Amino acid sequence: MKISVSAFLLFIFPSILLSQNLVSGTVLDNKGIPVLGANVYLEGTYDGSTSEENGKFSFETSETGTQTLTISYVSFEPFTLVDDVSKMKNLKITLREDVNSLETVTISAGSFSAGDNSKISVLKPLDIVTTASALGDFVGALQTLPGTTTVAEDGRLFVRGGDAGETQIFIDGIRVFTPYSPTTNNVPTRGRYSPFLFDGITFSTGGYSAEYGQALSSVLLLNTIDEPTQEKTDIGIMSVGGALGHTEKWDKSSLSINASYINLAPYTALLPDRNDWQKPFETASGEAVFRQKIGDGLLKLYGAFDTSDFELTQEDINQPEGTRFKLNNQNFYTNASYTKMLENDWTFFGGGSYTFGKTKVGIDEANIKDIENSAHLKLKLKKRFSNRFKLNFGAEQFLTDFNEDYDEPNFAAQLGYNNNISAAFTEADIIFSRKFALKLGIRGEYSELFKEFTVSPRVSFAYKTGKSSQFSLAYGDFFQQPESEVLKFSNNLETQHTQHYIMNYQYSANNRIFRAEVYRKQYTNLVTYNDEFPDINTTFTNNGDGFAQGLDLFWRDNETLKNIDYWVSYSYLDTERKYKNYPFEATPSFANTHNLSVVGKYWINDWKSQIGFSYQYGSGRTYTDLNKPGFLQDKTRDYNSVSLNWAYLLSQQKILYVSVNNVFAFKNVNGYQYANAPDVNGNFARRELLPAADQFFFVGFFWTISDDGKDNQLDNL
Amino acid sequence: MQNVVTYLMIFFTALIMQGQTDSEVNTAAQPTKYQQGMRKAFQLWQENKSWEAANVFERIAVAEPDNWLPPYYVAQINVINSFTEKDGTKLKAQLDKAQDFINDATAISKENPDLLVLQAQLYTAWIVYDGQQYGMTYSAKASELYSKALALAPDNPRIILAKAEWDMGGAKYFGQSVEPYCKDIQRAIDLFATFKPAGEFYPTYGEERAKQIQAESCN
Repeated sequence: MKISVSAFLLFIFPSILLSQNLVSGTVLDNKGIPVLGANVYLEGTYDGSTSEENGKFSFETSETGTQTLTISYVSFEPFTLVDDVSKMKNLKITLREDVNSLETVTISAGSFSAGDNSKISVLKPLDIVTTASALGDFVGALQTLPGTTTVAEDGRLFVRGGDAGETQIFIDGIRVFTPYSPTTNNVPTRGRYSPFLFDGITFSTGGYSAEYGQALSSVLLLNTIDEPTQEKTDIGIMSVGGALGHTEKWDKSSLSINASYINLAPYTALLPDRNDWQKPFETASGEAVFRQKIGDGLLKLYGAFDTSDFELTQEDINQPEGTRFKLNNQNFYTNASYTKMLENDWTFFGGGSYTFGKTKVGIDEANIKDIENSAHLKLKLKKRFSNRFKLNFGAEQFLTDFNEDYDEPNFAAQLGYNNNISAAFTEADIIFSRKFALKLGIRGEYSELFKEFTVSPRVSFAYKTGKSSQFSLAYGDFFQQPESEVLKFSNNLETQHTQHYIMNYQYSANNRIFRAEVYRKQYTNLVTYNDEFPDINTTFTNNGDGFAQGLDLFWRDNETLKNIDYWVSYSYLDTERKYKNYPFEATPSFANTHNLSVVGKYWINDWKSQIGFSYQYGSGRTYTDLNKPGFLQDKTRDYNSVSLNWAYLLSQQKILYVSVNNVFAFKNVNGYQYANAPDVNGNFARRELLPAADQFFFVGFFWTISDDGKDNQLDNL
Repeated sequence: MQNVVTYLMIFFTALIMQGQTDSEVNTAAQPTKYQQGMRKAFQLWQENKSWEAANVFERIAVAEPDNWLPPYYVAQINVINSFTEKDGTKLKAQLDKAQDFINDATAISKENPDLLVLQAQLYTAWIVYDGQQYGMTYSAKASELYSKALALAPDNPRIILAKAEWDMGGAKYFGQSVEPYCKDIQRAIDLFATFKPAGEFYPTYGEERAKQIQAESCN
């Protein structure tokens, strides 16, 4: 009916045809170059056209009055013009580039991303677990990145001249208070958490966001998977134990559980190491993640429990019969977070964590029992004003209650402290254009223990120097309280402080990434004390200071050689500090000058196998030679290790995995232990601190059972 | 690792654009604006002017906010063109755009097997571009989407075909027999013979592709 009415109208009023409006103009990009293929139309009508090679467009419309003209083109922000149609003639329209594009500069100073949620990932999700030297420990994979120091006997992250305690780990933005399994001298620790529950890892070696505090050197941010892809069961049988995982999905929620049991008794029976184990290392752990969608919100609950137990006698130059060491640790960690999108581009985040750690250590006659209860609460709001301006702000509270019972035949003591820290932060992300971005943040912290308020400004900026290259600068102030080793004896102290200055260049194109970063770190207020090992009579001060400076290089190439993916990291580090019981500024024993990592992966299609290779080099680390004057004046010989692994896909869901660390059995020396007293010639005898074993062998079989019959555990290896 | 996932290279390229325009042009009545617009878009697509076709679909999508088909086709054109795109920046822009339109279409039509398959194909485009980066996560997601789509429409030949083709890719890579999936392909071909799209401009592609696969991989 309508149609015939209009036909009728057309028939008697042919002038209606003449009242058709012509909309015309030219579309240009931000550089003034004509855009071909832009979609130009009046919103809500069928009238429109596509711009031609010279950027010109024109179309007729029967619409009249005020209309909305929309111009959309991929990778540019949509353009709209509200005006009377009759005025939409010979328009000249310049599109604004969409900054939510791969070409937009990103602030890269100091941070490495792994996973597929970032624009430029240095490590891909699989790397965490297929790096030969890492043995499935994500911390091990991160140790192949520049800025880290090879401290093979420890296993924790030592970043840019900082000690291991200067790196903090966060799961879903919430702090982990006890991230590593406790261990003993010369047996490296591992991260407690299974890499398989995380899908995004950001490792920052300096200059990080104001959201994170209480870390002098570095933060490691782990994000648990929001939504698992499918239901499945994973079974792992290893030469050192077993693992079992299961994921169950429901309409709006899902649960993943993961349990593992490691017992090194058979391994050490077969291949005895340098320690005399009375009770070989044994650990059982369980983890669970539960996720529930509530409208636009997502609730995640994470819980992990583990218990470790071992007892051994270690060689000691001052005790011919050796030092007896036994350890029993129970650790429980739980973390809950809730994220919700609110109206008007607001996002709410609230979360908290609770840690309970109980460690019983026996060293010869002494028995030490530590109990730590810690909690972290955090609230954060984010407002996205536009793609170009985002604001973040929040507040958090850290609570720690630490108690220690020290007991030996003629002496007993009870130690402990309460440490509560309140903090607030705000940060703005401003993207001026695809070429230029700025992040400005500030963080304030109040320590109840020290009655001290600190303010840390953080600034970073990035500028795009070419299509694939960019340049970033970062500055920040960072504060961290002393560790429990100090706080349990004294709280008449101040917080420790660093300043970071970072300059970064990054090139990334065609599966190749090059990064170069120079930095300078200035330490002040480090805690010093007057005894070799602190005790209740020790005097503590904040008189320490120091610096670290250096150059970090990273190159990854997945393109040049067919089926080969490799990366090379090199770090140059120059650092000295006065802290603990150092008589003057010296290079600490956990820092060395040169570190090199080469990691390669070769996929052999016909064998359905991936062969992994990893080489780690670290120049010598300092130690004090008691037979010469000086302090930390000598260096050990260089560290070398080559590791190989082989993953063979028996079928889509069955994998056989073999790895060998330190294939060539290089004799690495971590340091020396000197006798307490000189011998008859006035010489201090010494012994080498060697790793418990030069090599480590691992064999595992991994089987996944899922409905689609496709998934496998390659990402767990 | 990248080659573990090149098996996921779904060999579908321009298969989708066939057989859209010949759907029931029997309406004696004057075509509506919507019909005119959709026909024009399919005509442009057949003339290999896929971006112009996408533009027309986009205009219709804005004008017809309650119809899932226009945004579906905008997304589909962006996804198909991404399979041959080597420039990561363009690829991301196209797939982001496709994702936006899939989201719009899904908001209009929930639990729609054709949209689930398109979403799976979008993930596949990422995998084909960089298997090492996206393979592990996206191939599992795509598998799940195919299973879900088939559960929703167990007798839709296009969905049967899409899932069978995906599964055959995996089997081929591991040197396993594709034989088990040939009966699915045959079933799809049988069903295509009597397949009636739910309405005008609904997706109809797939029959020729099914025959092609049968000729290449079965028997």
